[in-house]
Amino acid sequence: MRIVVNELHHTYPAGVEALRGISLVIEAGEQVAMVGQNGAGKTTLVKHFNGLLQPTQGSVHIGDWDTREHAVSQLAARVGYVFQNPDEQLFTKNVHDEVAFGPRNLGYSPERIERLVEDALALTELTDKKETNPYDLSSTWRKMVALASIISMDTPVVIFDEPTTGQDAANIARIANVVRVLRERGKTVITITHDIDFCAENFERIIALAQGRVLLDGPANDVLAEDELLATTYVDPPQLTRLGKRLGLPVTVRDEEQFLAAYREFIGTEK
Amino acid sequence: MKDKLTFYIERESSLHRVNPLTKLVMVFAFIILAFFGPGFWLPSLLVVLGIIPLSFLGRVQREYFRTAGRLLLPVVGFLFLMQSVFHPDVGDSRVLLQVWVLNVTVEGVRFAYLTASRIFVMVSAFILFLLTTHPSELMSDLTRRGLSGTFAYVITATLQIIPQMQAKASTIIDAQRSRGLDTDGSFRKRVGALLPLTGPLVFGSLVEVEERAIAIEARAFTSKLEKTSLREIPDTKLDKAARWFFLLLIVLAFGSKLWPS
Ligand SMILES: Nc1ncnc2c1ncn2[C@@H]1O[C@H](COP(=O)(O)OP(=O)(O)O)[C@@H](O)[C@H]1O
Ligand SMILES: [Mg+2]
Repeated sequence: MRIVVNELHHTYPAGVEALRGISLVIEAGEQVAMVGQNGAGKTTLVKHFNGLLQPTQGSVHIGDWDTREHAVSQLAARVGYVFQNPDEQLFTKNVHDEVAFGPRNLGYSPERIERLVEDALALTELTDKKETNPYDLSSTWRKMVALASIISMDTPVVIFDEPTTGQDAANIARIANVVRVLRERGKTVITITHDIDFCAENFERIIALAQGRVLLDGPANDVLAEDELLATTYVDPPQLTRLGKRLGLPVTVRDEEQFLAAYREFIGTEK
Repeated sequence: MKDKLTFYIERESSLHRVNPLTKLVMVFAFIILAFFGPGFWLPSLLVVLGIIPLSFLGRVQREYFRTAGRLLLPVVGFLFLMQSVFHPDVGDSRVLLQVWVLNVTVEGVRFAYLTASRIFVMVSAFILFLLTTHPSELMSDLTRRGLSGTFAYVITATLQIIPQMQAKASTIIDAQRSRGLDTDGSFRKRVGALLPLTGPLVFGSLVEVEERAIAIEARAFTSKLEKTSLREIPDTKLDKAARWFFLLLIVLAFGSKLWPS
């Protein structure tokens, strides 16, 4: 499902102009990471995708729907949004019911709900915890419950707001796996993140926001090459990217494989 | 964002710079004058000549009028109506209006107006205080003067809790609507939405209490030693003089009750 943002402005009632003219297109099935300093407007932008916020000016289309013409509860069928803090949504007495809440709201058939819940629990490695009370789980596992509760809604677009913040390495790997599987299923995944390694390793496209505007938007390698521009919104490229640049590698790299390939070639050609 | 959690409006003004205790004494002076002071029009005068000019001095007049209008007018209006309609008819009072079996008397209206204006003074003086005083500033000033830390904590926590709960509640509503919860449909739907909305609020608060206790104790909250403060809160001679003045007003207000002329 294609997302089209056209000249979007948003001013909060308190008078803060959080978005100042954003235009972008996200194609169906794209994996996009959104970076930028605190207050750049990332959360404000994605809250427009499921109608939690309405444009002050400009428009947002999700497929053939204009978000101004549809309620949040309708848009929930197209855009799943995982909030930053799982504690702001968990309320049931066990993990299974929590994960089933979304699809039930969307009015799916009981068989489909059961299938989606089982699948979401398996994907987030929660199957053995489905009878547990979410509040008896550690905060990292509560995060996975929040992820599962959105994945089970089977929406074409999934948004994660800072999924890796405060998570341990094992859980970050689990989240990366979720993103990979969603990509294979053809879902659009939009992730807000301050974790630049997570961003570089899992996303093909990066959008950098600064002060309510798009600073950079393009293939991950191209965006990460712009270290000076990125510094203006307090984003540091990954260590390997910076090391590659210091070594004078002819291409921008962002993970080990790319680094090693470029480095071998570099050594080979230097002789 | 964090300033949204209290009523406090960060702004440069002479009222903001007044010592918090002075402002607190002033608020109590207003309230006691309104309730015990002489004269039918005194509470109204306090609003027009005291609280409203002060809101301009503090450069928070817009916020003051907005908050007072939203919070107070409905309550005070309702009170005025009920009191004037249901005031006991003592017999010798002039009847203004007859509503069904009830007589609206001049005396009833006067009594209702007085009650309503007193309440207005009380709440709106507090609004002005909250708009121009940062809770943590009040807390550190009071603890510096020897107030027990626990007591100061209870007060500031109470001042902050409602706006904090509101901010949390609106995030929860957003999170559940994003999961397809329909919050503005039929009555049945609304009742069904109650648990998903209140559940996280209650559980979340319980989790928070524990985290808070740990965070406070990590800063040696219960230590008996004298503590220093990072923030210096000004307390000028003028502040002290103003406090004595307001205390005098309070005494005079009580005095006028004890010796009616
Ligand atoms: N509910 C709100 N009311 C007023 N201002 C807000 C609100 N939410 C965010 N803002 C402001 O809008 C700007 C963008 O915030 P946000 O979208 O949360 O940034 P990010 O997610 O990139 O950190 C910031 O200046 C922030 O203070
Ligand atoms: Mg954010």
